[in-house]
Amino acid sequence: MVAAPLPGGALIYATLRLRLRKKLMDKQISPKNNSDVCIRCATCMAVCPVSRVTPKFPGPKQAGPGTERFRRPGEPSVDEWIDLCIGCHLCDMVCSSGVNISELNLIAKAKYLDQKGRPFRDWLLTHSYLYGWFGSLFSPLVNLLLKGSVTKWIVEAILRIDRRRELPGYESSTFRQWFKEHQSKGHKKVAYFYGCHTNTNEVDVGKATVQVLEANGFEIILPPQRCCGIPMLGNGDFKGAKKMALYNVPSLLNTIRSGSEIIFSSTSCGHMIKHEYGHLLSIPDAEEVAEHIFDIFEFLRNLIESNGLNAHFKELSLKIAYFAPCHLRALGIGLPALEILRLIPGLKIDNIEADCCGMGGTFGFKKEKYEISQEIGRDLAEAIDRLKPEIILSDCEGCRMQIRHLTGLKVLHPIQIIRDALL
Amino acid sequence: MHYDLIVIGMGLSGLMAAKTAAEAGQKVLIVGKGMGSLSLFSNSIDVLGQLPKTMKMEPHRQTSDVDTKAHRGEHPVPEDQFTHEQVSGHLGTGMKDGLSQWIKDHPEHPYSKVGLEKIEEAFSSFLSLFPPPYSFQAIDNMNCLLPTGAGTLRPTYLIPTTMVGGISFDGGHTLIVGFKGFKDFYAHYVADQLKCRGITLSLPDVPNQEITATALARLMEKKSFRENIGREIKKQLQGETRVGFSALLGMHNPFQVKEDLEEIVGAKVFEIPILPPSIPGMRIFNRFKEWLIQKGVTFLLGYSVSKATLKGKRCERIEVFHPPVTTSYSADRYILATGRFMGGGLKANMEKVFEPIFNLPVPQSKSREDWFEKNFFTGAPHPIHQAGILIDSTFQPVDERGDLILENGWVVGSILAHHHYIDEKSREGIEIATGYMAAKRALAK
Amino acid sequence: MKIKTEVLIIGGGATGVGISRDLALRGIPSVLIEKKDFASGASGRNHGLFHSGGRYAVSDPEAARECIAENRILRKIAPHCIEETDGLFVSLPEDGLNFRDKFLRACEEVEIQTTLLTRDETLELEPELNPNLLSAVKVPDGAIDPFALVLENAKDAEEHGAKILLHTEITSLILDGDKVKGAKVKDLLQGEEYIIEAPYIVNATGAWANQFLKRVGLHIGMALSKGSMLITNQRLNHSVINRCRPPSDGDIVVPNHTVSILGTTSIRLEEVEKFEVTPHEVSLLIQETSKMIPAIQEARFIRAYAGIRPLFQSEEKGNDRAISRGFVLIDHGKRDGIQNLISITGGKLMTHRLMAEKTSDLICEKMGRDVPCSTHLKPLPGSNRPTSLKERLEQFSTDQGETLCDCELIPRKEIEEVLGGEKLKDLQDILHRTRLAKGTCQGGFCVYRLFGVLHDLRMAEGDSNKILKGFLEERWKGIRPILWGIALKEEELIESIYKGIFNL
Repeated sequence: MVAAPLPGGALIYATLRLRLRKKLMDKQISPKNNSDVCIRCATCMAVCPVSRVTPKFPGPKQAGPGTERFRRPGEPSVDEWIDLCIGCHLCDMVCSSGVNISELNLIAKAKYLDQKGRPFRDWLLTHSYLYGWFGSLFSPLVNLLLKGSVTKWIVEAILRIDRRRELPGYESSTFRQWFKEHQSKGHKKVAYFYGCHTNTNEVDVGKATVQVLEANGFEIILPPQRCCGIPMLGNGDFKGAKKMALYNVPSLLNTIRSGSEIIFSSTSCGHMIKHEYGHLLSIPDAEEVAEHIFDIFEFLRNLIESNGLNAHFKELSLKIAYFAPCHLRALGIGLPALEILRLIPGLKIDNIEADCCGMGGTFGFKKEKYEISQEIGRDLAEAIDRLKPEIILSDCEGCRMQIRHLTGLKVLHPIQIIRDALL
Repeated sequence: MHYDLIVIGMGLSGLMAAKTAAEAGQKVLIVGKGMGSLSLFSNSIDVLGQLPKTMKMEPHRQTSDVDTKAHRGEHPVPEDQFTHEQVSGHLGTGMKDGLSQWIKDHPEHPYSKVGLEKIEEAFSSFLSLFPPPYSFQAIDNMNCLLPTGAGTLRPTYLIPTTMVGGISFDGGHTLIVGFKGFKDFYAHYVADQLKCRGITLSLPDVPNQEITATALARLMEKKSFRENIGREIKKQLQGETRVGFSALLGMHNPFQVKEDLEEIVGAKVFEIPILPPSIPGMRIFNRFKEWLIQKGVTFLLGYSVSKATLKGKRCERIEVFHPPVTTSYSADRYILATGRFMGGGLKANMEKVFEPIFNLPVPQSKSREDWFEKNFFTGAPHPIHQAGILIDSTFQPVDERGDLILENGWVVGSILAHHHYIDEKSREGIEIATGYMAAKRALAK
Repeated sequence: MKIKTEVLIIGGGATGVGISRDLALRGIPSVLIEKKDFASGASGRNHGLFHSGGRYAVSDPEAARECIAENRILRKIAPHCIEETDGLFVSLPEDGLNFRDKFLRACEEVEIQTTLLTRDETLELEPELNPNLLSAVKVPDGAIDPFALVLENAKDAEEHGAKILLHTEITSLILDGDKVKGAKVKDLLQGEEYIIEAPYIVNATGAWANQFLKRVGLHIGMALSKGSMLITNQRLNHSVINRCRPPSDGDIVVPNHTVSILGTTSIRLEEVEKFEVTPHEVSLLIQETSKMIPAIQEARFIRAYAGIRPLFQSEEKGNDRAISRGFVLIDHGKRDGIQNLISITGGKLMTHRLMAEKTSDLICEKMGRDVPCSTHLKPLPGSNRPTSLKERLEQFSTDQGETLCDCELIPRKEIEEVLGGEKLKDLQDILHRTRLAKGTCQGGFCVYRLFGVLHDLRMAEGDSNKILKGFLEERWKGIRPILWGIALKEEELIESIYKGIFNL
């Protein structure tokens, strides 16, 4: 519970109100499902990456609206295969009837896992924000261990995290630590939700975001923030996700009400906060946050409209391929990174024609899902191979990890190239 | 955000409209939920499967073998009279004459509003997206019959390379191949109906014994898989010169898959349309998507327009509701390409049919009782299929008096009135032609 | 060819098959002929309501008593055909509470167990109900699968020596003076005509009673009453929901597997063969049932169907032996001078066993045999199919193999079993024996696949596409009355597939 800076009485009132709401939320019946509108056309089946590579997952037509007719609230879940849904939302995008398929799957997954129990491994994978700081603090040793084959064997044997998967290395200085030393100056304030991975594993993404925003005249502030909760949500842990949301929303709300918009560089964090906090987790006032939170490139694109974008870029002759993450598609803002990248002279950019990378956040780490993740990724790897780029760009850390793993090529966040192109 | 043109709907007509505008250098937004009928039905391009009955066949076609009592659209002509030259976009004389006659007979039909010349241009534009090796072609300027997954023959016009081998179906020389575990295609069913031979292959390494269309299409794109099945089929060939598969010869490289199989099997290979989803239709969609994104079109797949705001007769902006955020988009011009009931372009409650975005009037039978005939299979189309949006000659929506409703709006595709694409076998043709034409008109205004 | 037996039963509905079983268990050989498939009449076109008898408690206590007695028996002998959902008799504000109190008293009189629930208790149990309801009375209603019930009666009968001939039609009765001797019948599958010799004949043809009796110049007073029902796409309620008021239209919503069935109406008909669900009935059913379950206003429907109740109109007293006002057992010997010909008509699915018992008792009496009925004691053979939704889901999750019907999760294995069973005449026979095509798209994908399987198994006969078109036409009868909203979208898809992709 974050204490908002309100006068005493109002503070108590707000606390009580929030507690009551929380109580109601716990009792809440799941969001209304739309499976009744399914016309069984199987368009969703044409895009599902999981059912494309493994027969173990029946596909969205069945997994969502199909079996929904058989599920009854009081009865135990028997959906053994439901956690194979990778949560890419592609089915939702193409369903012209408006069935909220991935949501149906997620709710069923939550019920199934709540019942079956989640292994310690899943707790570990979804609560990395708790030990990220530790990884950074002892990064040389930790990174060495993470790469070691013995560690990987042990980790696979005990935790069932596939040893073939590279575990993300930690940087010795976190983004927060860097920012503390950094003096941000600008005409207008803008808040940055950097996300766990940027903080401890890919600090340069955060730096680049800050530098680009500053080049456009903004002063960056960091509101108090925690993990957005998407790893928990992806594993059907609604409770865990709600906990994160209940911390973040009041903090972000505070920032917004003080007059700053909020930027995110990780499309997964962004999608979670913007679209899942309100709709799926029913966090109070999440709608207000949603109105004021933007993807960094969406924000930059908006600046173009008001002629406020610093588009003074130097020439960069690079052959680049861009991969749009699933959560970016699910944000419904188009491909703003492509639009901005196209302003850099000399840059050869191709949009990679593939849908899901197969990482699915924590999905690709799990031993029982690794092969599926790789098979899905194979299609992406082939698409990349056809283009033969020097560098690959993607806004999602999960995608970046997967693409590095699949191709061994250099993979960056597009904001890093923008920063590099700034004069 | 402001655009030159907003296209609402991502079916073939919307995609064509967006392409046409993008080619003219316009800043385009295309927003839609779903892929229209491309993901379901569009295996080949229908223009007018049901040709006018009064149409005369070309002189050298009138042999005694021609069955004059053939069903509408069916022209069973012996094989040696077909050639396989690629027709690069222009309608051959056969179809041209057919369309010409059709336009004369149906002045309200969407084709009539486009006109023959522009129809040809539209097809050129469409075909330019599919250069060889995976291209579409008309066979001898006429409709031809392709086998279907129910073992029937179906007339269509522009055929992808991967289906050409199915033309002039010859039961004596064709083998149909199905796969155990793929439940949307049955070789024996097709073979029994078409009076030819069918075999069902077992798939190695499919533990659950059920495989989806996309999974099978993906397997087809693996060389080792092709080699396996190719060898097996070759072993089982009994002199057949053509082998028919369900329409899943790969999503990305269908031509390569076909060629490879042909080499291994030693016979012509073709694909046969099946129950949805349609892999060939997806290929079309993916190609458009790739092209449009490359051209800088803002491609918003996954969202439907919740509201349009009008000021007088001008549409000022549209809203897309993606919970909990509503985003507004504005443009100088809007093209409505939302399809019929499946796509949500038209909706029906218990009393009436309506168009949900602009509330355009939809002329229709008074009572729900009259929407559909008593029988499913009827001589005439069900009355409700004729209901749709009325347009003037420039594709702008009008009311029943002919007065313009939207100054900066155009309507394309299957949502239009005065056509029945199922009976006519004209779905893709109408979508391509009207999408192209309306965009041209919109840009000219 | 000639078949000799003791009793010839005409009609393969619940009553006829029930009699076949009852006689078989008494060691009396019989032959049953049915011109179509099992349950082609009212037995296959009813609400699927497993009555507690509450509905009749006030208006017809005798019928109610019969119902609750049979309710208890059937629970014991056919548990796998029944879903024990309980039922609620809901009082809405406009119903007041007078009838409810009458109802409670009447149920007590006939020993139907009731529990009075408060508004909150009711809504806790069934949250989809109208929040303005006053109270509800819980009764031992349930949902029954009529086809399974009939099939299992038949199975048991055959296991005990009875003979059942489907697709066999009677062409004429053979009399010996004033006594029945047998009948000439025709095998509609092979076309062969032959004779069945039987000294006793039972007319269990339900609504076709007079069609049959015409052959010997007889007639009984029948009223044909059409009842229409609507099926929703999803199951809206888990208990049977009844309206606590004097029985009227649109009073009942029965949960059934994955759907809910709204019913019913009561419209007099002249003909037994041609009937359809009218738009007026559709509106009426939605209007009335949505008073109890508001979500029905926006619900998606997948099918409408109707059945004909064979109601007996009693003539002057003394000429027939009316056992109860529920069903009627007519001894044509006493009434019309044709000996050893019996008609059994009226009644409901709930009392089929009792009807069979009374008929069999009469036959035994005539035969001079004193064998008691044991159908209330011996359980019906079960089936190995999943009966509950959960079981079906489990099967889907764990089974290897193709799922043929995506909507109802029917595996290919189940279909192959059905096809491998008894000789089936046509597609409808197959469809009767499985839940394939009973779901959201009503066979839009799975019937095509079924044909594929038939061809794979080399069992396809005739022109499959012609039969497929026939199926689509038959299906249309149930779809046309509910074509608006999402159902209309569904039909656009189906039309585009069959007339479009397949060019049928």
